[in-house]
Amino acid sequence: MIRKFVGTVASVLALVAGLWLMIAPFALGTQPENADWTDPTTSEFFTGLVIAVVALAGALAFAASIHEELVARGLVTVRRRPEPEPEPVPAAPQGASSAELASLLAPLVEALREDMNKTAHAGEHRQNGKATLVGVEENR
Amino acid sequence: MKAKLGVSALVLLFLAGLWLVAAPFAVGYQPRGAAYVDATLNDLWLGGSLAAVSFVALVVYAADALRELARRAKHAES
Repeated sequence: MIRKFVGTVASVLALVAGLWLMIAPFALGTQPENADWTDPTTSEFFTGLVIAVVALAGALAFAASIHEELVARGLVTVRRRPEPEPEPVPAAPQGASSAELASLLAPLVEALREDMNKTAHAGEHRQNGKATLVGVEENR
Repeated sequence: MKAKLGVSALVLLFLAGLWLVAAPFAVGYQPRGAAYVDATLNDLWLGGSLAAVSFVALVVYAADALRELARRAKHAES
């Protein structure tokens, strides 16, 4: 653990050094104003940029490694985001719902029609009425 | 794996420190035989410090890793 901490501190120091190198030619006045960059400026700026990027990557890597070890030891608990609630299904448009309703009711209508046909053919054998319903309707 | 990435960064930083020390003479903005200019002084101090800090961090890392190995070996024997 301590070695990773030392690595993190060294990387952060190097990051600061890299940032300083990038601004040093302008801060120290070795780069003339309103002139093209001189050789020392170019060298220091790009060296500082590379150092800053590498140091940042190193610091992040060491910090992630420390965090990993703390989690493995149970000293740090990882917060898990709550799972998002499922979004309610949007209501289907009216046209679609009536078409679905018709398709759902079609077998029922067919069954009713068959039942009525059977009743019409066997109307004489009805026990609770003298005439079939169809006959009653026709006699009205 | 992440620690290895960090160690690689430390090695690169050590090399960058060495480069900074050599840069004034390699690039040629430090005249030979003349007093050190400001840019040279800046590079020498910063490069030396960077190389030293990176080197110490690498040594500490290696020493702690070796100590942990020795502790594990001792624990395995007993």
